[in-house]
Amino acid sequence: MTLAILEHTGLNIQTPEHPPMGGACGDEGTLHPGETPSPVIHTENLNLWFGEAHILQNICMAIKRNRVTALIGPSGCGKSTLLRCFNRMNDLIDHTKITGEVRYDQENIYAPATDVVLLRKKIGMVFQKPNPFPKTVYENVAYGPRVHGIREKRELDRIVEKSLKDAALWEEVRDRLYQSAMGLSGGQQQRLCIARTLAVGPDVILMDEPCSALDPIATAKIENLIEGLKQRYTVVIVTHNMQQAARVSDDTGFMYLGKLVEFGPTKQIFEHPEEVLTENYITGRFG
Amino acid sequence: MRMAISGIQTRMATPALRRIREQVIASVWFICAIFAIIAVCFILGYLLLNGYPTFLQINLWDFLFGQQWNPTGSSPEYGIFPLIIGTLLVMAGAMAIAVPLGIASAIFMSELAGPRLRTVIKPAIELLAGIPSVVYGFFGLVVLTNWIRISFDIPTGETWLAGSVLLAIMALPTIISVSEDAINAVPREYKEGSLATGATGWQTISRVIIPSALSGITAAVILGIGRAIGETMAVLMVTGNAAVIPHPIWNIVSPIRTLTATLGIETGEVPIGSLHYHALFGIAVILLLITLAINLSATIILGRIRSAQTGGAVKKQRLADETRVKIRHLLSYCLIGMVLLLVAIAAGILPCLILLIGGAAAALIWKRISPKMMQKIAYTLLFAAVGTVIVVLAILLIDIIVKGLPVLSWEFISGYPSNLGREGGIFPAIIGTIYLVVGAILIALPLGIGATIYLSEYTREGWVTKTIRTGVDLLNGTPSIVFGLFGFAFLVIFIGFGVSLLTGWIVLALMILPTIIRTSEEALKSIPHAMREGSLALGASKWQTIRKVVLPAAVPGIITGTILSIGRAAGETAPIMFTAVVFTSRFLPDSIFEPVMALPYYLYILSTSVPGAQQNAYGTALVLLITVTLFYGAAVLIRIRYQKSSRW
Ligand SMILES: Nc1ncnc2c1ncn2[C@@H]1O[C@H](COP(=O)(O)OP(=O)(O)OP(=O)(O)O)[C@@H](O)[C@H]1O
Ligand SMILES: [Mg+2]
Repeated sequence: MTLAILEHTGLNIQTPEHPPMGGACGDEGTLHPGETPSPVIHTENLNLWFGEAHILQNICMAIKRNRVTALIGPSGCGKSTLLRCFNRMNDLIDHTKITGEVRYDQENIYAPATDVVLLRKKIGMVFQKPNPFPKTVYENVAYGPRVHGIREKRELDRIVEKSLKDAALWEEVRDRLYQSAMGLSGGQQQRLCIARTLAVGPDVILMDEPCSALDPIATAKIENLIEGLKQRYTVVIVTHNMQQAARVSDDTGFMYLGKLVEFGPTKQIFEHPEEVLTENYITGRFG
Repeated sequence: MRMAISGIQTRMATPALRRIREQVIASVWFICAIFAIIAVCFILGYLLLNGYPTFLQINLWDFLFGQQWNPTGSSPEYGIFPLIIGTLLVMAGAMAIAVPLGIASAIFMSELAGPRLRTVIKPAIELLAGIPSVVYGFFGLVVLTNWIRISFDIPTGETWLAGSVLLAIMALPTIISVSEDAINAVPREYKEGSLATGATGWQTISRVIIPSALSGITAAVILGIGRAIGETMAVLMVTGNAAVIPHPIWNIVSPIRTLTATLGIETGEVPIGSLHYHALFGIAVILLLITLAINLSATIILGRIRSAQTGGAVKKQRLADETRVKIRHLLSYCLIGMVLLLVAIAAGILPCLILLIGGAAAALIWKRISPKMMQKIAYTLLFAAVGTVIVVLAILLIDIIVKGLPVLSWEFISGYPSNLGREGGIFPAIIGTIYLVVGAILIALPLGIGATIYLSEYTREGWVTKTIRTGVDLLNGTPSIVFGLFGFAFLVIFIGFGVSLLTGWIVLALMILPTIIRTSEEALKSIPHAMREGSLALGASKWQTIRKVVLPAAVPGIITGTILSIGRAAGETAPIMFTAVVFTSRFLPDSIFEPVMALPYYLYILSTSVPGAQQNAYGTALVLLITVTLFYGAAVLIRIRYQKSSRW
């Protein structure tokens, strides 16, 4: 239908008929003994262009269930863009071209038949800058459940309370649920956005530098939160903060100039990186 | 080291000098800003002064609620009730058409249309805004009324319906472009945040984007209403102008007469100083009061929405959420009850029951539609709305182009009219229009930009800015015919400028001033504070910051405002028809104290008063269209160039 096409004008999706086996993605060797080999999100030869600029080049990675995966790398290397590929947020940008595959639960999310709405419901996202809606705290959290058809007040109340508690925000906002969310502090707004994401009941949570605008205390709160989220969700987090990556993540991917240079367990990346580039970046000997 | 510093210092004025210069500059802008208020007060005072004698002879009640308007009869009657009703009905009809179409088109353009489609539609809408009201009137007179006459099988098509349709078309561009700006101004993050929760596109639009843009959309609708209420020429030409109240009241094919049309018809012929003359001023005052009420309510609504959006945390909510929901429910039940009651009174019990059951069923079904289905329905409706707008524009343009093109020739453009305009050309009218527009812009642009700079850069929000803004709003809401009346009575007669180019400039400048101020202010406001701070932090003075950083960044917005103003000035008939123009003239004006010919007025007279001049009327309409389009085209090009070079 023409209507459906409008939803992502300007996007040009090319799915190769026969995804190249092996090739650049050759080694599935990122699996290590004793780990559950169940990737939730799996990219294969993912390439992305904004207009002429080749932003992501041959990205192959496997993000595993119930783990925290960190993406690190210098500014502009494509971390956010990669993250936004996972829930097709890049569809919103004109003149985007994507080749390769991103598989979520074995399904290629760039296949024409994909239900983007459902995908985004399963794969939630927290943005770099807190972006609460100009509504009340309550309405912000209830937004997701509401658009997914929940109407009963009691059920909504329950979800809102639970999500706010999970986001470690409940105590601070319980008395101002019906005031504008714009009046919260930056850290509170960010946790509100996390609560908003949790309220939908996602499977995977993508976080794009969630702490970049926050002070150490708020950062610590969110880091604790991520630690807890791991039990029930899969988390992918972009961060500029090496310590943060080391503290919260189980796996780490290092990106440089649009390529995924190295990907593996955090411990290994930080202690025995295979690539010189990675080591230089982590130790701060860069450029 | 010392050398380097003194090297910079030599180029800077001494601190004292700088301070004085800054202050002088600031006061210049202040005077510009105050001007709007002075103008408004003066116009209002002058109208009141001249309207007042009416009430020495007729009491207010009889004037407002008298059922007969017949000032030239053997026993003159001065009841303007039918005129008030006529004004409100035409406006309501127009809004019923224009608001849904306009908002839908705005949503379509900003959220659904791809960049390529948008670059086609946006200029089309701007063109719609540029089409002069007299051209709409002409089109309405020769096409629309005919169509209504035939399809409703009535003796004449000059009706309320025709007026409302025309006004709707005319209000559309305002509603569309202002709402579109409001929607575009909604931070991208909101949209992403919503989509990231798995909301559909339509859910995102209807639950996040539109609520966030609501204040702007409200402003758009109110501006549209202002446009519709103040419009004179188009309504005058197609509504039949019978001062009667439709019977029954919803009879949309009844002729009707508005307040503005009354002024437009009678101002030129009234004996100066007579009771009739003063009664016309009375009408102008009433008209002003209506627009005042509209503007005031608009301001209040806007203020509320704004404080709810931003100040929510500061202002404690007095009622608990629960109570508010209950109150809202109660209110909506009351509303439904009232509507049902009205229907019951008007049409009987049965339709009322049908409505009730139908409504309940619809509500039930509505709740069950899946979000996806809903999105499909909504998008289809949006498509249909935009399609309608485009088709209407196309019909209008094609009609005028096809019938006007054969008339166009070098002789037509460069010749002088003869045989009452049935033959000959329109050269003096073209030149006259250009004179009028250029002069008016030259007066209004510096004043307007000065006022804007003062408003947005030199003061904090307070009672001063509020007063000035109210003044500007009032001026903006003032119907153009009122400017005409004022210009006629004050400038032409009292001051003695006579019907002249100069009077035309002043009147037109007054009329476009608010448009320039408003749009420029929007442009200045949209410039991030960080940019100003960045410049100030480098040690630039306030005026340097404004001149080097703020103004250049605001140029596209200011140009947009100027575009809109040019469109208005070039196409307006009502304010100049008693103040600056003559129907035909064999010469170009020698001085600014002589009247000119102008395209819109020429077209108006040709199409309403000269039988057998339809061909030349089409030609004139086409030329007027082309003239306006050229102005627009140039301005749009400039804007695009600036947008390319200054992005932030
Ligand atoms: N909307 C866009 N249009 C065109 N190019 C873009 C767009 N968004 C990002 N880019 C480009 O894509 C590249 C990667 O951007 P991305 O935001 O993914 O980097 P990042 O690694 O997240 O950087 P940072 O750490 O600064 O957030 C950059 O070179 C950027 O200029
Ligand atoms: Mg980023």
